[in-house]
Amino acid sequence: MKKDDRKVRNIGISAHIDSGKTTLTERILYYTKRIHAIHDVKGKDGIGATMDSMELEKERGITIASAATYCEWQEHEINIIDTPGHVDFTVEVERSLRVLDGAVLVLCAVGGVQSQSITVDQQMKRYKIPCIAFINKCDRSGANPDRVISQLKSKLGHNAVTTQIPIGLEMNLKGVVDLIAMKAIYFDGENGENVRVESIPESLLAEAAAKREKLIDAASLFSDELTEAILEEREITEDLLADALRVGTLRREITPVFVGSAYKNKGVQPLLDAVTRLLPCPSDVENEALDMDNNESPVILPSDPEKPVVALAFKLEDGPYGQLTYIRVYQGTLAKGSTIVNMRTGKKIKVGRVVRMHADQMEDVAAVSAGYIGALFGVDCASGDTFVSQGLNLTMTSMFVPEPVISLAIAPKDNKSQINMSKALSRFTKEDPTFKTYVDHETNETIIEGMGELHLEVYVERMRREYSADVETGNPRVSYRETITRRAEFDYIHKKQTGGSGQYGRVVGYVEPTDEGDFIFENMITGGAIPTQYISACEKGFKACLAKGPKMEYPVTGVKVVINDGAFHAVDSSDMAFQAAARGAFLQGYAKAKPVIHEPIMKVVVETPTEFQGAVMGLLNQRRGMIVGAQDEGPMCVIEAQVPLAEMFGFSTVLRSSSQGQAQFTMEFALYKLVPQSIADELAEKAAKNKKNAA
Amino acid sequence: MVASFSASQAQALSIFKQPARIINMKDRNLDMLKKDILLTSPFRLLEQDIDTKISEGGFGTVLSRAGVGKTAFLVQLALYNMLQGNNVLHISLSDSVGKVGLRYKELFQNLTKHYNVQQINELWETTLPHRFIMTFRVDSFNVPRIEERLTDITEQGIFHPRMTIIDGLHFDESVRQSLVDLKALAMKHSFHVWFSITTHRHEDRNPDDMPPSLSHVADLFDVALDLQPEGKEIHIRALKSVSETSEHPPLFLDPSTMLIQEKK
Repeated sequence: MKKDDRKVRNIGISAHIDSGKTTLTERILYYTKRIHAIHDVKGKDGIGATMDSMELEKERGITIASAATYCEWQEHEINIIDTPGHVDFTVEVERSLRVLDGAVLVLCAVGGVQSQSITVDQQMKRYKIPCIAFINKCDRSGANPDRVISQLKSKLGHNAVTTQIPIGLEMNLKGVVDLIAMKAIYFDGENGENVRVESIPESLLAEAAAKREKLIDAASLFSDELTEAILEEREITEDLLADALRVGTLRREITPVFVGSAYKNKGVQPLLDAVTRLLPCPSDVENEALDMDNNESPVILPSDPEKPVVALAFKLEDGPYGQLTYIRVYQGTLAKGSTIVNMRTGKKIKVGRVVRMHADQMEDVAAVSAGYIGALFGVDCASGDTFVSQGLNLTMTSMFVPEPVISLAIAPKDNKSQINMSKALSRFTKEDPTFKTYVDHETNETIIEGMGELHLEVYVERMRREYSADVETGNPRVSYRETITRRAEFDYIHKKQTGGSGQYGRVVGYVEPTDEGDFIFENMITGGAIPTQYISACEKGFKACLAKGPKMEYPVTGVKVVINDGAFHAVDSSDMAFQAAARGAFLQGYAKAKPVIHEPIMKVVVETPTEFQGAVMGLLNQRRGMIVGAQDEGPMCVIEAQVPLAEMFGFSTVLRSSSQGQAQFTMEFALYKLVPQSIADELAEKAAKNKKNAA
Repeated sequence: MVASFSASQAQALSIFKQPARIINMKDRNLDMLKKDILLTSPFRLLEQDIDTKISEGGFGTVLSRAGVGKTAFLVQLALYNMLQGNNVLHISLSDSVGKVGLRYKELFQNLTKHYNVQQINELWETTLPHRFIMTFRVDSFNVPRIEERLTDITEQGIFHPRMTIIDGLHFDESVRQSLVDLKALAMKHSFHVWFSITTHRHEDRNPDDMPPSLSHVADLFDVALDLQPEGKEIHIRALKSVSETSEHPPLFLDPSTMLIQEKK
């Protein structure tokens, strides 16, 4: 493996569906000689494109799984990482964007900046990923690259600069003019593999000169040398201009735009040149880790192969030989035979096989050093885990995992699905720490829990497609909670002394609300009113009541139980008796302590074009939302609100329809809050009905 | 004897004629807490002298050099108004929504700590809905734009401000027209506006002690307060006020908590 990390590019290719992302990736792999034949997306040869595993993506307009593949171009190593395009899977998105250093934003010359381009662009902005744009499909009728560039400026707020102009458009697309080198480039041969460089055709000279002026003007902001050259009216060399553009691109202050048609094999090689020339190498990017010894404060990782290892597992795959773990090394060198520690579990792991992946083929390597992407075999871990050398205490992702806020009952349709479903569930829970599953012992249903409606929907869909497990789903349920609002005393005697061995226990004390934890138990008994050996039985009894609250069967949180007196019987008292007494005591105290229902409140952030701001605020307001603020960001605006989760079902559809598909939102759990009385009454009514039905 | 009923007696009796009202103990508790803060804090002085004297469509401003505490002062003014149940619209041209929110939270925590208030969370939750933050970029800020946003929220009944804070507006030569338009807007929507103005060390003040950034628009303002750091305290001095008595309000900012304090 090569060691010069300046010759490495870890990039993502992001695009709206059908703007030709898969075709472009396919061409890149062909020209870099990773594959030897081109298969089209909906090809007649029945094979399909190499990276095309996105049937579900097309249907829903989202990328769900991300794969990594690698290729070489002009002595540079390029890792292409597929990026999920949906903002809802924050964990997944964060991981795949973290391993990118730069990106190519593919846009359709006909469709222009479409809603999903906006989504992916916002994600990149959030993670400060430098990008270049490629306007694809210039061979299609109606292609208009100039319009797309102006949209890049107006809709996405990019400082887009033209670095190429097409030679001919639509059916007459012959090649491109490179404004940096001032040359015309043509693509000959059956698959456009022979690049022919010539001088610019007469007819385009004037336009090219004018656009180059603009390009130089924009680039001069980033290079003093270039500015001097302009002022002294020296000739501006290709390298001088490219270096200035690179500085601007890395700062995200300029977006160079390239044109072409991947399908017609035009403009792909110059784009690859641009990737190596303009996008950052791993050491150009500052990567942050969190220091666990120092309250998760951020630490900058130098991309130095000599330092101790820090690596992130960003993707798991179930292969024929077991679990394959994709990793990106941020610091140090991960070599075969070395020992690393999984930060989450604290377990030591000996590195067995290290490989480099190309879609579904792999190549054994001895080590992966800082800045590179590789894969490990036979390592038991979850996605998002950080691996470090022994002695380091850094993590790439926060250890904080939010509690799930929504649950759904699922049931397999047949026996085969049953087995596949459990396989799928065990895989998903490993991949995504926010996705949980358990079996409800009362109803015997399998419950899945997660961070949002769509989050669960996608997993159900993946079960069907990837594991052919057909499942039926129930209605999504919000995880409400019960708590008490005031102190209440209890004094309960559990007594059964008729026939057989007796039971006797008396528990006296009080319950009160607390902010310090879900459940606190305090023993303040003096003088042995309850013998020490029964105290733990009491605690167990109280704890048993928390799983299903007496009010509406939601989990009880924020309760402190203090016992300060009691009584026992020399013969009839037992663990069982005191557990029962504690249960009785809890019910007694709880009823008097003004129990209330709390509901999860979500922090909802909507990003919308300014013209829909009013409508979006109205939508949020209708949903019992409290709008915290509205932030103006050029053509877009960001609205932040706190909305109860129960009101957020179906919000994505409504939001889309009231914003012509251009607004999107992210949602994360914020806090638990008291349910308003009217809603609490509704819930109580529903609970009573359910109880009746069950009986 | 009926004729000799005094007005207060009549009022007392009229209570019995009203339908019985359910008293929510929790709400009442919070109301009392709020009143406690409002009465014991220097807010009553502020209110008497400064804030309530500004009528609908009126302007107030707080001036100081950068970093002295203009925003902290305005945020406290907003908090006191929110505690009274008045809606406050906070427009920031320099900070993000998150940052503005944090300032409120921090000052609220300092405030509750200072006045030994329990039940902070509940109080905060009931206070928060009275605030709405908007942020604009300085270059895209103009009155028609604010009006558009304001109509968005008022027409749908989402939020009706009684007080608006505009933090970070540049008071240059061209600001006058914007201010005149804003005044009309404030009149229309019946709220008053507080601004922050940054002054500079090198500026020469006019004979009436007004900095040049304010003097050319001073006629539009009802109240102008100057924050001046002196030793360990930041003094609040009125450059312009509604009543004559409040030229030297007995107030200062405590630099450690940025709370408005009363001079002893």
